[in-house]
Amino acid sequence: MNLQLTLALRYLNGRRLRTFLTTLAIVFGVLLIFGMNTLMPAFLGSFTANAMAAAGQVDATITNKTGENFPESVAAKVADVDGVVAVSATLERPVNLPADYFDQDASTPDRVTAVTLVGANPDDFRSLTMVNVIEGRYLEAGDGAAVVVTQSLAEAAGLSLGDALTLPSPTGTVDFEIVGVTPQRLLPGNEEVLVSLPVAQKILDAPGMVNTIDANFDSVAETRRAEIEAAITRVLGDNFTIGVLQAGAEILQNIGVAQAILNLLGGMGLLMGGFIIFNTFRTIIAERRRDIGMLRAVGASRRTITRLILIEGMIQGVLGTAAGILFGYGFALITITGIAPIGQQFLNIQVGKPAVTPGLVIASILAGVGITVVAGILPARAASRVTPLEALRPSVGEVTLKRMAGFRFWGGMGMIVIAIAALVSGNAGFIALGAVLFTVGLIVVAPSLVNPIANIFGRFMALIFARQGTAQLAEGNLSRQPSRAAVTASTTMIAMAILVMVGSIISSIMITFTTMMEKSLGSDFLLVPPSVAIWGTNVGAAPALADELRAVDGMAVVSTTRFAGAQIGEVAVGVLGIEPRAYTEVSGLTFVEGDPQAAYQSLEDGRGMIVNGVLATAAGISLGDEVAVLTPSGEQTYTIVGIASDFLNAKTTTAYISQANIATDFGRTEDVFLQMNAKESADLDAVEAGISAAIRQYPQFKLVAGQEFLEQNIGLFDAAMAGFYAMMIFLSVPSLIAMVNTLAIGVIERTREIGMLRAVGATRKQVRTVILAEALILAAIGVAFGLLSGLYLGVMAVSGFSALGFPMEYIFPASSVIATIAVGLIFGALAAIVPARQAARMDVVTALRYE
Amino acid sequence: MTTIQTEKLTKIYGHGATAVTALDHVNVHIKGGEFVAIMGPSGCGKSTLLHLLGGLDKASEGHVLIGGHNLNDLGDDQLTELRRRKIGFVFQFFNLIPVLSAVENASLPVTLDGMKPAEARAKATGWLTRFGMGDRLGNRPDQLSGGQQQRVAVARALIADPELILADEPTGNLDTRSGDEIAGLLRDVSKEFGRTIVMVTHDPRIAAYADRIIFLKDGKVVDETQLERKNGNNAEMLADKIKEIGD
Ligand SMILES: Nc1ncnc2c1ncn2[C@@H]1O[C@H](COP(=O)(O)OP(=O)(O)O)[C@@H](O)[C@H]1O
Ligand SMILES: [Mg+2]
Repeated sequence: MNLQLTLALRYLNGRRLRTFLTTLAIVFGVLLIFGMNTLMPAFLGSFTANAMAAAGQVDATITNKTGENFPESVAAKVADVDGVVAVSATLERPVNLPADYFDQDASTPDRVTAVTLVGANPDDFRSLTMVNVIEGRYLEAGDGAAVVVTQSLAEAAGLSLGDALTLPSPTGTVDFEIVGVTPQRLLPGNEEVLVSLPVAQKILDAPGMVNTIDANFDSVAETRRAEIEAAITRVLGDNFTIGVLQAGAEILQNIGVAQAILNLLGGMGLLMGGFIIFNTFRTIIAERRRDIGMLRAVGASRRTITRLILIEGMIQGVLGTAAGILFGYGFALITITGIAPIGQQFLNIQVGKPAVTPGLVIASILAGVGITVVAGILPARAASRVTPLEALRPSVGEVTLKRMAGFRFWGGMGMIVIAIAALVSGNAGFIALGAVLFTVGLIVVAPSLVNPIANIFGRFMALIFARQGTAQLAEGNLSRQPSRAAVTASTTMIAMAILVMVGSIISSIMITFTTMMEKSLGSDFLLVPPSVAIWGTNVGAAPALADELRAVDGMAVVSTTRFAGAQIGEVAVGVLGIEPRAYTEVSGLTFVEGDPQAAYQSLEDGRGMIVNGVLATAAGISLGDEVAVLTPSGEQTYTIVGIASDFLNAKTTTAYISQANIATDFGRTEDVFLQMNAKESADLDAVEAGISAAIRQYPQFKLVAGQEFLEQNIGLFDAAMAGFYAMMIFLSVPSLIAMVNTLAIGVIERTREIGMLRAVGATRKQVRTVILAEALILAAIGVAFGLLSGLYLGVMAVSGFSALGFPMEYIFPASSVIATIAVGLIFGALAAIVPARQAARMDVVTALRYE
Repeated sequence: MTTIQTEKLTKIYGHGATAVTALDHVNVHIKGGEFVAIMGPSGCGKSTLLHLLGGLDKASEGHVLIGGHNLNDLGDDQLTELRRRKIGFVFQFFNLIPVLSAVENASLPVTLDGMKPAEARAKATGWLTRFGMGDRLGNRPDQLSGGQQQRVAVARALIADPELILADEPTGNLDTRSGDEIAGLLRDVSKEFGRTIVMVTHDPRIAAYADRIIFLKDGKVVDETQLERKNGNNAEMLADKIKEIGD
């Protein structure tokens, strides 16, 4: 076997725990990146498959860019285009069903959680889509409450020909008679429920409107088809899209954002892993100075030494990456299995298998192995500069290190200054770059700062332990081995910095979102649709329901939210129609920019719009801008009167306008979310009973008491945060252990010296004190620096979030700071206890023979 | 056979007020196949001289000629190759790589030079067996006694068939018996294979194994003695001499 490989394997094997822990960091980073990137496409895949399946196998599907309805007459225009042979206009709408809708049984999983209501002209529809009826008959023009369903839906719902199918609708539940059954659907997606167009228009309160036009062309030739598509675009204008279905575009965007955030986390994990490997290698090289010098003395070239270290890194990188990919796949699989029912329920999609692409595997390998190699390069080059003399006179090496110090110090300080400048810029990209620069700068600066500080601390300790005469020894050890001390202290620093940074972020997120939640979900009662994430798939209620609720005895105010899809620039936007006066009574937006009073007022004067931070960032909108919003009736100009968000919609690109405007521009009058307050004097139970009675015909809504909903949401939020925290702690654990490791190595390395101390008459207690004092000095330095940098990184992260559109208030993480100090010092002492005891117990003769 | 020559070889550590002149215009001439011992009080520059001879460190002034080549003219890669092929080292401490077995340690120079593993192993096994280590081939350094470790180090110094062997207090860390064994080994090698050997020691008994002794004091050569093989009191004579110089 190759000598370098043999050496690398032996060295790694000799320190199995350290190898394991170092590799763990890489495993974790790759796991996140690989797992997330197999998971997300699985979602995206099934989501688009859903859309594609809904589009069926026609030549072209034409929809409004916003996904909203448009007049039936558009179909005629399409039919007139040269080359179009058949056209079918439909009004289609996914209908989310409440849990246990068909089976009324909470213990069995629901097989159908949503259906797609398709209103079509039977003959046109049949001319494009082949429909075989296996039982009963096909729809006929003029059919009233008749419906054709698939065999699989009929089975799932326990219905058969002639039975009544009851579906929720904005105007209350509607009963249909099943007149025909078609074969079960082959493509993934929602079960379709086919009714005649006028019926659908009536139920969905969209007279004369459709939202999808399917067309078949006279040619399959690519060029001809492009011509026809171009002709259609000319006729219809820019507001229409040919091909992809636009419904749910905003959720697609969200999945994209989630993927980016998780990739960032994975990237951070990898960087952390890289840093740990970098530090471990610096330790390794300090530890093996003599070995390396000896190899050089007997004829190993610089390249051989460089390669030896790189191979060691490579082995860890390869193992870590392989394990990371494996665990990542498992993680994706488990998550998908766990999440599939939720995905079905809330996102209305069937999630498939984890999507592993060769590109992703290659990218993960490049990232995982690449980072270890990169992290190893500097230490490897440092190792190659170890001269043979260092095997013989180990003190020689420190000279070069000291010479580097000045240069590193100023380089690192430069980076830190730039990082601070970036923070002031308020730009997310710069801030992220600044955080990276800051961390790198600290790592670079730390070694040159550790020495003077160790001296100061040493003097301080000397005063305390003056009588035992041991502190001078501890200090002497530290300044004699500055690189070792620097490695240990900076490892501690990074670990502590992470803890404090995460603490800052979490306390800030917690406070910000809890406040937002209490504000926006503070009403007495809520009517919640099946999906609170994607409003567009929910069947709401006609204004009649709200009126009925207002009439309930003891009701003070009913505020409703209406939904429409829109587009600003290239960004898909969920538009929410609110009635400012009622809305502010039961709920409220948390403003980042703009005066709330004036903003609510402006919603109703002309076209005012409040956008949330995510949208403002995504579309580059600022307060006072006039933006072109794509609506079913063409582009409309809205003035941005505020930047604000509520809890439920904080994460999706959302805009708030008045209900008058959503009716005029989007033709929407359907309420998808209702919040209610009872009169102060009212009996809440009676009011609840009144609401229950009013919504009997609207099974699409669930009645929730406000307090309960709030608690539910806080619970969910806490769980998510706890997960996040756990993940970050997981990230910092390897560096804590790296810290223990470096401290322990320091003691082991000086075994001989300790023997000498004992030989000249130091008591066991004195030996223990020397080692403990040394560890505590290092830990204290690390903690002090970690606190400073962690607090700074925390501020940076919080302002980074703000720049990204999640405005947060910075909260000083007092408890994290205390916890960090405790953890740092305890780990520092822990790191010393075992070796200190070993050293104290050591047999003097053995100690002197060591080496 | 390689001759070694130094001319005005000077080494100064540090500069200014703290400068230490470890070697001060040293001229020595060592014939091919000669076994030379360097003696002198602690801190007189013995190790420094040895390191300069082996190209491990750079001279401040003057130069070392090995077989006519000036070491000052060689780059790091060429020095590395020189160490690998032409010079064998034995040191007092830290001679062996802890994660490699005896036979792997002994074969390092030739493995680094690209020799086939099996061949390198066979060669190392040969030397180790000759030094009575045949039953310890697979042991790691921490499973060997000090004397055994030094034997592995000597085997490693010899494996590439170098013309020059440099040993810095190879017995300094050993008991009397092991020390004698190692010194004996070196002398046998010198006689049997005609290797040039330069050994640093402060032990007169060990120095007595050499052909010639060079005495160093404060970085300067202060005396030289050619030893007569027949003379049984070499060690005592050297001890007296050292005492005299040390004063
Ligand atoms: N790296 C170094 N830096 C400064 N002084 C050194 C260094 N190495 C050796 N010296 C000094 O050079 C002198 C000769 O040292 P050395 O050759 O090791 O002596 P010896 O081996 O004879 O005991 C000593 O005074 C020693 O302190
Ligand atoms: Mg010496």
